[in-house]
Amino acid sequence: MSDIDAGRLVGKAAAPARRIRSAGPQGQRAASLGSRVIRRSWPPLLAVIITLLLWEVVYLSGWRPSYVLPDPATVLQRTGEMVASGKFWQALGTTMFRAAAGFGLALGIGTLIGLVVSFSRTLRAAIGSMITGLQTMPSIAWFPFAILLFGLSESAILFVVILGAAPSIANGIISGIDDVPKALIRTASVLGARGLSLYRYVVVPAALPAYLSGLKQGWAFAWRSLMAGELLVIIASKPSLGVQLQFHREFADTAGLMSVMIIILVLGMLIDGVLSRVSNGVRARRGMGPVS
Amino acid sequence: MRLGTAGARGRMPAPEATTERAAISLRGVGKDFRGAAGECVALDGVDLDIDAGDFVCLLGQSGCGKSTLLNLIAGLDSPSRGSIDVGGRRVGMMFQDANLFPWLTVRGNIELALRLSGVPAREFGPRVEELLETVRLPRAASMRPHELSGGMRQRVALARTLAQDCSILLMDEPFAALDAITRDAMHDETERIWLERELTIVFVTHNVRESARLGNRVLVMAPDPGRIDSELRIGLQRPRRMEDPGVADRAAELHRRLSERNEP
Repeated sequence: MSDIDAGRLVGKAAAPARRIRSAGPQGQRAASLGSRVIRRSWPPLLAVIITLLLWEVVYLSGWRPSYVLPDPATVLQRTGEMVASGKFWQALGTTMFRAAAGFGLALGIGTLIGLVVSFSRTLRAAIGSMITGLQTMPSIAWFPFAILLFGLSESAILFVVILGAAPSIANGIISGIDDVPKALIRTASVLGARGLSLYRYVVVPAALPAYLSGLKQGWAFAWRSLMAGELLVIIASKPSLGVQLQFHREFADTAGLMSVMIIILVLGMLIDGVLSRVSNGVRARRGMGPVS
Repeated sequence: MRLGTAGARGRMPAPEATTERAAISLRGVGKDFRGAAGECVALDGVDLDIDAGDFVCLLGQSGCGKSTLLNLIAGLDSPSRGSIDVGGRRVGMMFQDANLFPWLTVRGNIELALRLSGVPAREFGPRVEELLETVRLPRAASMRPHELSGGMRQRVALARTLAQDCSILLMDEPFAALDAITRDAMHDETERIWLERELTIVFVTHNVRESARLGNRVLVMAPDPGRIDSELRIGLQRPRRMEDPGVADRAAELHRRLSERNEP
C-alpha cells in the first residue's frame, strides 16, 4: 500500500474531470465525483484489509504469545481508546509542534541555501556535493553530537530535524533550477527577461515541481528524524509520541506500542498526502501528468 | 530598389543611403565555436542588408549557420568578428518549438511578454484581447499550453512575440513541426500579419517551397564555413499559395542551387 499510488490516482482522475467540467452540466460532475472517490479509494483500502488479514494469520499461527504480538482487533481497540484520552492529544500536540517548527525552519533554511547555491558557481563547487552528502547521512548519527551541544532539550531535536530535512529541500530547488529547459531560458531572454526578472518570472516557476518533490522528501526525513529524536532525547514533563513509544516498550505493552506506531504512520502519510496533492496539482496544470 | 544586395565576400562597402534604409545590417560577420574537435567556423564573412518591411528567407541544409545567424541578429549570441546593426529596433524571435511557459495560461504567457516590455498592467486586458484576435485565437485566453494543438501553440507564441511590439521578427523554422494543412494556414497568417504590422521578417527554413512561398528574397546559405552563397528574388504577387506554379518554379531553381552545393 502506498500513498504514492493514491497520489497517482488523484492526478489521473483530475484530468478527465476537468474536461467534463468544461463540457458537461453540473449533474455529471456530481456523479463523476462519487465514482471518482470510489475509484480512488478501493486500492489502498484493499491493501489495508490484506495487511490486517496477514497480521491476523500470523497471530493465529501462534508464532508469538498474544501478550507479545496482539491481534489486529485488540490493537485497533486500544488505538480507539488512546485517541479518546486527553494525554494522547497532549503528546500529539508536542510532537506536531516540533514537526511544524522543525520542518518550517528546514523549509526556510533549505530554500535559502538552495537558491544561493544555484546562483553561485563557486558556492556550488564548494558545498554542492556536501549537501548531497548530508542527505545520505543518517540523522540519528547526529544525536550524540546534538545532545552534547544543546543538552537534552527541544533544541537538540530541532537541530537534527533541520539537518535531516534541509538538504533534501535545498537539493530539490538546486536540481529544479539546473533542469529548467534551456529553450525556455532562451525564449525568456528574447522576451527581455534578464537577471532577477529571469529568475522571478521563469526560473523559479519552472523549478517549482522539483522543489515540491524536495519538500516531500524533506518531510519524510524530518518525520523520521523527529521520531528518532523523541526516542533519544526524552525530556521530563514533555509527553510526546516518541516518549509514549518508549513508555509502552518499558511496560511491555505491545498493543499500546503498536497503536502509537499506527498513529505515527498515519500522520506521516497524511502530511505526505497533502504535499502530494499540491505537487500533483501543480504538475497536472502544466500537463506533466504523473510519472508512471 | 536598394543598391546593396546580400552576397559574396569581397563586395563593396555599402553606400550610406542603404545603411539608413536597412533595418538590419551585417558587416563581415563571423562566428566561431569552440568544440571538442577544436575551433569550428560556423559563419564567416556575412555581409547583409535587410530593408525595413522586407521578408527575407534564409534557406540551407542543416549545419550551414542559419540558426547561428539568426541568434546573432537576435542578440542571443555575439559575433566573433564583424558588426551587426538593427538600428535600435525591437527584435522578436520565434523557435521551432513554441516554448510557451507551461505554468501560465495563454493569457499569462502574453501578459508576461507585455510586462517584460514595460507595458503597464492596466493595459494588459485589451492588449491580450487584441493580440489573440490578431492570431485568430480569440477564445483561448484561459487555456493552458498543454491543452493546445501544435498550431495553436505557435499562434500563441506569435502573439507573445508580437506583444513586445517588435518591428523585426526572427523566425527559426517555426512551422517545421506542423502538419501541412496547419502550416499552410500559418503561412497565410504570417503573410497577413507581416503586411498589417509592417514587420521586417527574417525566416529560417530548410524547406525550399516554404521559402519561395513566403519570402521576397531568399538567401541560399552554404556550409564550411557557413556563408550566404547566393540570392534569389522571388518577385511574385501576394497573397501566394504553396501550389502556385510561380512558387513551384522558384522552388525548383532554389533546389537546383542547393543540390549543386552538395555535389562533391
